[in-house]
Amino acid sequence: MDRRQVTRASAAERDVLTNARRRWPAVEFRVINVAVQGPGAVSQIIEALGTLDADPDTDLIIVARGGGSVEDLLPFSDEALCRAVFACRTPVISAIGHETDTPLIDFVADVRASTPTDAAKRAVPDLAEELSLIAAARNRLDRAIVNRLDREQQRLDALRSRPVLAQPTTMLDTHATQVAGLRDRAGRNLGHRVDRAGSDLLHTLARLRGLSPLATLERGYAVVQRRTDGAVLRDPAETAIDDDLRVRLALGELAARVIAS
Amino acid sequence: MTSDDLSYEEARAELARVVERLESGGGTLEESLALWERGEKLAEICQRWLDGARARLDAARPSS
Repeated sequence: MDRRQVTRASAAERDVLTNARRRWPAVEFRVINVAVQGPGAVSQIIEALGTLDADPDTDLIIVARGGGSVEDLLPFSDEALCRAVFACRTPVISAIGHETDTPLIDFVADVRASTPTDAAKRAVPDLAEELSLIAAARNRLDRAIVNRLDREQQRLDALRSRPVLAQPTTMLDTHATQVAGLRDRAGRNLGHRVDRAGSDLLHTLARLRGLSPLATLERGYAVVQRRTDGAVLRDPAETAIDDDLRVRLALGELAARVIAS
Repeated sequence: MTSDDLSYEEARAELARVVERLESGGGTLEESLALWERGEKLAEICQRWLDGARARLDAARPSS
């Protein structure tokens, strides 16, 4: 808990309290009112300083006083007072008079504030400012982790969208295509062979028919064979008188005998 | 190695390797299928991890 201390009431006190609370509403004050001019001032201020410095809840001491003549401000240049301020273990802000006043306490205090209002500003941070800093930091924090996650999501999506993962059937497709291709080739190959065999057969048949003597016989030729051994005769010298012959004609055969050569 | 023990980075790195191997072809069809199944599982682990992270983010955020 913040606890700031003021050693003088009045307008100076109000300036410090109002401004400090406006900046940091949770700030706590312990106010000790003392004489700020005249013969008792120095000893009262020194005593108040001692009290506050000894208080473990005190984080900061503000010695404040409103404006006044140089004589009025003399206690704040007192050697004993300056030494007491110097001796404080608690940080001390001096806020005496106006901007132009420079009592010696200003040179001993940890911080010299130009006015009580300025002392309030230096004593506590501005809540709104701090909140906006925290909000900004939180915002960046949030954005950083969201961006990271988005980036990882993109990396994962990229991997998942690769065809091998996105369309695993393509893996089978190539195999299926290969099988179909082979099957096709086998089918075509067999078909060709059957076709070829068919045409071979026709060809052979045609040759066979071409070789058959039937066509020749039909044109009026005859085949003459010796009856005894069936030899086809090409030369009259192959026969003798009285040999029995077979004469094959297109429509049948007849028997013949050699009567002359 | 049980898949669920993988960290996000491990799962993602293995997924990338699986994809690479699948893309390079080779191996028997059975091996390819096993690889693919592994890849799907790894992708699932990665996705679950990311979804979990988002859920944790949403839970930790002040409702706005």
